[in-house]
Amino acid sequence: MFKLQWNPNLKKNIISLAKNNQTRFLNKRQYSIHHPRINSICLTRSLPLDTTSITNTTVTTATTNSTSFKREFSNFTKLQHGHLTKPKPGEELKITFVLKDGEQRTYEVAEGDTLLDIAQGHNLDMEGACGGSCACSTCHVIVDPEYYDALPEATDEEDDMLDLAYGLTETSRLGCQIKMSKDIDGIRVALPQMTRNVSNNDFNK
Amino acid sequence: MLKKTISIIGSGPSGFYTAYRLLKKSPIPIHIKLWEKLPVPFGLSRYGVAPDHPEVKNCEETFKLCFKEHFNDYDYNNCTSSQDQQQQQQNSIEFIGGVTVGGSHIKLKQIIDNQDIVIFSYGCQSDRRLNIPGEQTTKGVFTSREFVNWYNGHFDYSLSEKFNNFPWSKVKNIGIIGNGNVALDLTRILISNQIDEIWNNTDISKIALKNLQNCNIKNIELIARRDFLNSKFTNKELRELWELEKYGIKGTINKEFFNKNQFDIKNMDRTLKRRVEMCDEYMKPFNERTKKNYKKFKPLDIVTKTWELDYLKTPLRINKDSNGYIKSLTLCHNIITPENRVVPQLNEKITYNIDLLITSLGYKGVPLPEFKSLDIGFQKDHISNVKGHVLSSSGNIIPGLYASGWIRRGSQGVIASTMQDSFEVADTVIKDLATNLNGQTNYPKKLNVESIPHITWSQWESLDKEEHRRGQLSSKPREKFLSIKDVQDHLSSL
Ligand SMILES: Cc1cc2nc3c(=O)[nH]c(=O)nc-3n(C[C@H](O)[C@H](O)[C@H](O)COP(=O)(O)OP(=O)(O)OC[C@H]3O[C@@H](n4cnc5c(N)ncnc54)[C@H](O)[C@@H]3O)c2cc1C
Ligand SMILES: NC(=O)c1ccc[n+]([C@@H]2O[C@H](COP(=O)([O-])OP(=O)(O)OC[C@H]3O[C@@H](n4cnc5c(N)ncnc54)[C@H](OP(=O)(O)O)[C@@H]3O)[C@@H](O)[C@H]2O)c1
Ligand code: FES
Repeated sequence: MFKLQWNPNLKKNIISLAKNNQTRFLNKRQYSIHHPRINSICLTRSLPLDTTSITNTTVTTATTNSTSFKREFSNFTKLQHGHLTKPKPGEELKITFVLKDGEQRTYEVAEGDTLLDIAQGHNLDMEGACGGSCACSTCHVIVDPEYYDALPEATDEEDDMLDLAYGLTETSRLGCQIKMSKDIDGIRVALPQMTRNVSNNDFNK
Repeated sequence: MLKKTISIIGSGPSGFYTAYRLLKKSPIPIHIKLWEKLPVPFGLSRYGVAPDHPEVKNCEETFKLCFKEHFNDYDYNNCTSSQDQQQQQQNSIEFIGGVTVGGSHIKLKQIIDNQDIVIFSYGCQSDRRLNIPGEQTTKGVFTSREFVNWYNGHFDYSLSEKFNNFPWSKVKNIGIIGNGNVALDLTRILISNQIDEIWNNTDISKIALKNLQNCNIKNIELIARRDFLNSKFTNKELRELWELEKYGIKGTINKEFFNKNQFDIKNMDRTLKRRVEMCDEYMKPFNERTKKNYKKFKPLDIVTKTWELDYLKTPLRINKDSNGYIKSLTLCHNIITPENRVVPQLNEKITYNIDLLITSLGYKGVPLPEFKSLDIGFQKDHISNVKGHVLSSSGNIIPGLYASGWIRRGSQGVIASTMQDSFEVADTVIKDLATNLNGQTNYPKKLNVESIPHITWSQWESLDKEEHRRGQLSSKPREKFLSIKDVQDHLSSL
């Protein structure tokens, strides 16, 4: 369950995620990456939001009733649990993963899911050690050059983490930073090998 | 079939990632004993990673999964009932906290003799040293490991008088030797600790924060022995320092060491290219910056504190005042040879006046006390090994012994690379288990830990819960237990 709390010291609302009676605070970078709207609605507000309890996917606040706000929260729940959003009929997007042994797997997914969500939701070998916070580079993927340019440009933060990725290539990206969208429907990405660098040949199978 | 018994020594990222991989992938049923000298798990994720980087600690959620999915506090090789026998086919793990392997309660030999496999993952537990006069006798000189442990609330340092009685209010100018990411962590924490929005909601030790906030820092000098291109920090950490300009904290690099036109940018790799661009842009006045990435936040007009990347210097001597406190540092210039060797120019001495010096040279791995008698090889700062197989002092593989993480390779690498390393070692163990290359015997190996006083995983969970509870009172992720006594008091109150 999420909790939105007014912090008088900081003069802003802070968000925490409570799981198993434990509370985990999310730092600014973490939600600003995934949840730009949460960030702008709750965090930069310098007034307390009235109601402070958010259970699972519903947001109940006297001052906010925007649906987009609700969606961001539901996305977040899913992220934490590795659940996937079910695509609406007719709105399925396709993605293909090239696994470490060369096997290819194609999935139908919903807009807005990150590549990390999708890989973890299907039990592929992608660690995501920092839980998708752009702080570990273990979700490194190599994007088929044909799709690379269709992706929104990487932020500095993503590029900084990519510096540390194993077997970096010209078309490397972080899986937790790429969200599925119509622009990249059909995208193919390879999971990097531990022992050798992936080359473009992996896409020519 | 009897479970194979595995002991992993150390519950930092390498111990946990090795365990995680083994539990996930071993086709042969295993029971893991995870030994930890502290009453709490997670090693440097808890006591190294900076408090203002909580997202890095999210790996702990994965570690907790090991126990959620495979946990039992019991060694089923000792059981007979049918339900227990069923359990016998499932992988399991047990936490033995608060027990130093090689200490008074358990000898390494006992573990090796009574387990099929032993994996060393105990990290680097000491300090690299400059070995210069005054280093260990001057007040106000600390190693990075001591300092980081102190602000992260480590049991051995959080209440130490050496730190808590130090006259922090006299600190104006600071020197840090080395420019790895730890040096940058230290710089950020020292220079920004008065900014509440960065620190208020972190799990930094309350005592340390209060002391640090008494400093009146003017400048921090990061002193490296090599040149800019050989800097050890990563771009992410450096960017964070530059970005502090919005609080009136400004960085510089002397032109002598950073001149864009003198670099062969074309032939640089992408990391270096981006590093040069970043420094070049941030040192320009705000209005002259060409890229929008560097214009996100307008810097404060008034600069209150500065940090500087300094290069090509070797520290020679630490000078103290009549009370034994550090007064200054004597250094000399260096040149580096084409082979990247450092040659100090001893005739060109200079002096920096500083009130605090931190040597951030890297942590140092040390052997366990019994390594000599057990003929386990050790090289400089890590266990002798090939691909994780531990070697004897004469270079032969010792069957059944492995090493992973920092104690395998020395204190280098982020959590992602420690994970990679641990997975490789776990995969080797699994392969050897399958082909029976560990020199295992067919009789069951038992090691009863009931007689050893220790912290179990369930006890840690209640400590964890209590830390969260205390933290919540002041909107922090947790308020750590700062002393073993506090831990014991809490556990006995349950
Ligand atoms: C200050 C600092 C900040 C860092 N920040 C980051 C970061 O932001 N991001 C990142 O990716 N990486 C970071 N790292 C690197 C990261 O912490 C390491 O890659 C990783 O922790 C190494 O794991 P390890 O398990 O080998 O060692 P450790 O984490 O040191 O774990 C060793 C464990 O063994 C225990 N132990 C030692 N001796 C014994 C014994 N005799 N018996 C039983 N147990 C024992 C110790 O108590 C400890 O818990 C940082 C490192 C430092 C030093
Ligand atoms: N946020 C993060 O991702 C993060 C944070 C902290 C730590 N870490 C990781 O943890 C690891 C350890 O970091 P670290 O900073 O402790 O070690 P490090 O990166 O190895 O840096 C050690 C520094 O000390 C210098 N040094 C060593 N011996 C010296 C001597 N005798 N005289 C003068 N200078 C000396 C080194 O210089 P030379 O280069 O000349 O040898 C280097 O600048 C690194 O892999 C780091 O990336 C990551
Ligand atoms: S999951 Fe850590 S960087 Fe993407």
